[in-house]
Amino acid sequence: MIHPFAVVGLFLVVSLIFGVAPIALAWLLSPKKLNPRKQQVYESGNPTFGETWIEFKPQYYLFGLAFLAFDVEAAFLFPWALAYNQLALYAVFEAAVFLGLLGVSLVFVWRKGWLEWM
Amino acid sequence: MTGLGGEVIRTLLGAFAMALFPLVVVVFLIWEARKVIGRMQDRLGPTNAGTYAGPFALFQTVADGIKILTKELIIPTGADRGVFVAAPILVVTVAIAVWAVIPLGPTGLQVVDLDIGAFYVVAISALAPFSMIMAGWSSRNKYAEVGAFRAVSQIVGYEIPQVLALLIPVLLTGSLSLQDIIRAQDIAFIFVVPLAAFSFLIACVAEVGRLPFELAEADSEIVAGYFTEYSGMMFGAFYLGEFINNLTVSVIFSVLFLGGWRGPWVDQVPWLGAVWLMAKALLVFNVLVLFWAAMPRLRIDQVLAFNWKFMVPLGLVELVTVAIADKTMESLGVAQGWERSAGLLVANLVLGLAIVGVLSLVGREAKRRRSFRRPGVGAA
Amino acid sequence: MADTINGMPVEVWEKLQARFPGALHPAQPPERGDAEGYPQGGEHRMTRSVSRSVLQNRPRYEGVLVHSRHLLDVMRFLRDELGYVMLSSLTAVDYPEAVGQLPPHIDVVYHLFRLEGGGYVVLHVHTAREGAILPSLTPEFAAANLQEREVWDMFGVRFDGHPDLRRLLMWEGFDGFPLRKDWREAYFEEEHKPFRSRFPEGGSPLYAEERTPYHANVRYSREFAEHNLHVDEDFSEADALLYERMLSADRDTDKPLKTEEMILNMGPHHPSTHGVFRMAVRLDGETVRHLEPVFGYLHRCHEKIGERNTWLQNIPYTDRLDYINGMTNNLAYCLAMEKLLGWEVPERAEYIRVIMAELSRVVNHVLAAGFFSNEIGMYFTGSLYALEERELVLDLFEAAAGGRMMFNYMRPGGIARDLPEGWIERARALVRGRLPKKVKQMQSFLLDNEIVRARSVNVGMLSAHDAIASGVSGPVLRACGVRYDIRRAEPYGIYDRFAFDVVTREHGDAFDRVALRFDEVWESLRILEQALDAIPEGPIQSHRLSPKMLIPPGETYARIEAPKGELGFYLVSDGGANPYRYHIRATSLLNLTPLSALTRGVKIADVVSILGSIDLTMGEVDR
Repeated sequence: MIHPFAVVGLFLVVSLIFGVAPIALAWLLSPKKLNPRKQQVYESGNPTFGETWIEFKPQYYLFGLAFLAFDVEAAFLFPWALAYNQLALYAVFEAAVFLGLLGVSLVFVWRKGWLEWM
Repeated sequence: MTGLGGEVIRTLLGAFAMALFPLVVVVFLIWEARKVIGRMQDRLGPTNAGTYAGPFALFQTVADGIKILTKELIIPTGADRGVFVAAPILVVTVAIAVWAVIPLGPTGLQVVDLDIGAFYVVAISALAPFSMIMAGWSSRNKYAEVGAFRAVSQIVGYEIPQVLALLIPVLLTGSLSLQDIIRAQDIAFIFVVPLAAFSFLIACVAEVGRLPFELAEADSEIVAGYFTEYSGMMFGAFYLGEFINNLTVSVIFSVLFLGGWRGPWVDQVPWLGAVWLMAKALLVFNVLVLFWAAMPRLRIDQVLAFNWKFMVPLGLVELVTVAIADKTMESLGVAQGWERSAGLLVANLVLGLAIVGVLSLVGREAKRRRSFRRPGVGAA
Repeated sequence: MADTINGMPVEVWEKLQARFPGALHPAQPPERGDAEGYPQGGEHRMTRSVSRSVLQNRPRYEGVLVHSRHLLDVMRFLRDELGYVMLSSLTAVDYPEAVGQLPPHIDVVYHLFRLEGGGYVVLHVHTAREGAILPSLTPEFAAANLQEREVWDMFGVRFDGHPDLRRLLMWEGFDGFPLRKDWREAYFEEEHKPFRSRFPEGGSPLYAEERTPYHANVRYSREFAEHNLHVDEDFSEADALLYERMLSADRDTDKPLKTEEMILNMGPHHPSTHGVFRMAVRLDGETVRHLEPVFGYLHRCHEKIGERNTWLQNIPYTDRLDYINGMTNNLAYCLAMEKLLGWEVPERAEYIRVIMAELSRVVNHVLAAGFFSNEIGMYFTGSLYALEERELVLDLFEAAAGGRMMFNYMRPGGIARDLPEGWIERARALVRGRLPKKVKQMQSFLLDNEIVRARSVNVGMLSAHDAIASGVSGPVLRACGVRYDIRRAEPYGIYDRFAFDVVTREHGDAFDRVALRFDEVWESLRILEQALDAIPEGPIQSHRLSPKMLIPPGETYARIEAPKGELGFYLVSDGGANPYRYHIRATSLLNLTPLSALTRGVKIADVVSILGSIDLTMGEVDR
């Protein structure tokens, strides 16, 4: 019996093959007639003005941070949900308090205005 | 030794078959989606008008695939070449990798029944935004860059309601194995916890970037979003990955809330499970297609506000409600069978009514603000 | 009319005289040296038949001649005291030779209207051809912005004080000012059509393409290919100027967090810009800090060619302006010619004109709403529904005019062909049966959709005051709550006979602009029902037309309520067979005047929905 995770590993390799194969095949089959104009970056027919890789607006990162906090909390909930059937009512209330804390932090972020798009 | 070798070869063959399965299905799903959208728009969709592509132009996608294989792969000057090529590979790889744990039938028709199957699904599909930001950033294209940032803030955000909704079947089942979740659904969970199903579906639509959450590509605004610069099969990979993801979320929704492969005569004929699952998945997939054909796109701030101000609170409240209602019923002695399901359904419906009430209050407030805002200046 | 002087109300003239004693002159016909001394007219073989008496009895100009130093004061007085708030049209006419006592000059013409209706006031300001300069109205009259840029571009008149005097349609560094009479295009053949090489003898006409180095050969030379593939890292002069302006305009210094901004070009080859319109956008994240529209990618010298063409040759040419609404373009141009000619139109032709114009309005509005739904991301469903209805109306147009898009249907004094048999019944069936059902369906699909509302309510709000000041017209103006419709304010044709309401909305946001179009479709259907019932039998043309048609000298400005707004034609005739000046007051261009202001501070997604809600056709913007 192979360990289940070994099977998953095998499957990941297989999926990688399926990911690479079409592009490799296209690389073999497709014409290669590059020229500088064809390789220009597309900006509605204009040459790009200014730098593209800039210090982008930090708004996105705020959402990223909020996500990080919440996702970690959500990961903590998996074992709780798994063990749910064996838990007593008070343990469920405990989890509810935990979720409530999450909710409070959400309300805090909301009230702070970090959920508004600037 | 031969035993192990045979096992490996058998597993490999199974893995290949399973990885091929979504690809084959998707070829016809693309045709189906085009047909449905065509009918929605008073068109015919793909036909045999030009060249013959099988009955009802069924193999149109195959022809398109062959064509796209022969198109030039163009990498723009200034792009980060390694990352640029890796992104489309990653998108297909990730889309297929999820299928390792999808149970197509009761036994055998699954690569591996992982005991953390649900967790695996979440973990792997969380890799999808990576390919988007890789594509968007490495292209060195401004549209792609905006698209990449949109993808990240949106798709990453909607993972939270998705996970919160997914926790509910797990909680009701007590297992992360997808097989166990299916076996626990004597009554499909959509009839037990409809709110969780609802928020899971919406989160899934947002995850796969289907309208009205199609912001990362947003053709009328940022041309094609994060894959603007891709051509030939590299573009095809994104297209393929997108459709596989659509299929995958449909299948996962069916597994979690529609009873997966369960259906009549599955006990006698196990492979019939695959048919039932695909039929259910097709139903969900077509809901996505109907959204696609009928809805405009939301704006980035609206999408994020909808997530953080509605979906996440909804997920939290739903989880707490289900957990407490269930335990309360257990302590009252109605822990099993249809009584438990009915109790949870009632709890869900009450919660749903409360939410609708709150929303209509908020909506009325918003409408009042609009009509009182500014009187028109009359002239002549 | 008895109570007008030079085309404007007597009281206005008297008030102007009282306020600016001695500064203004009625723009009377200048003295002429001899009968053939009109600009360019003498040499033209068709002009000779014009009798001298006709020329002298018609006033050469309408309105008043103002000295440039009084221009701003007069404009302010007219706007603030007399209510002429709408600077509808601003253009110029070039006179390269002395006209009577007047030396060679450029005549800049301003047309002003009141919201209450009742005729226009025309101001003429002369400036020398060399070093032409006038004070700019733009700082106080936003509507002048793009029009002054166009006059600078086409005539080389500098406007002193204009904040952004760049060329509008041609590129920076273009040699010369094309609408000046002494500017000649490549492969210039003659001043006026018909060219001697083709008319009257025919013979072998010379086509410009045959004179290119490549002839009809489609294989490009080797050097050409290499030149074409070369990527030029430097920006053109026009782009350099544009980006300079982009970087300097609307800088806010007190941002809480320093972030880098980037300049993104949307268009000309962009899915949402209705053709080849370009918006250069300065972005901070997703937020638009400054937007600069760039025009001219579809410029095809419409006015210059129009001045080469004969009067009638221009009718099919107007179809190409706003190519969704060829019928109304025809109508506006024919109205202008009729004003110069003083012709009447037979009853039946008037009715047919109204029917065609209103059908065109239905098509345009339904289509605009459909494409708006595309703009906000609906996957073609809305626009395909709209196109389906459009096809049915186009069937009617085809039956009457022979073309589905390019009609060439109206004529001065009537229309080209009568309606075929059974046309009225077919139109009635469409107007009474299918259209109301389908429009209602589309209206509810679009306007009741929660996401459409979320994307358009309170987006791109334009106040009534700003709308009037920036020269906006049509549905965009009425959506701001301004009850102004030329069909009511100054009825042309027989519009005064029909019962219909001028609908308005109050908020002036994108949603109202789309919703108002649906309201107007219902009013158009009302007019259509009445017109289809009341249409009489009879002749369709009051005069025999000839290709050599001459129009007596004079100037006029005729305008109609085209589906997109006020469409005006400013025509100057020197008595010849060709317009001396042929100017189009392009609705779509003027409606874009407030675009930059509307989009300040919105998200990229809203830029697209605002543009869609304004509803423009590039054929008309760039001409």
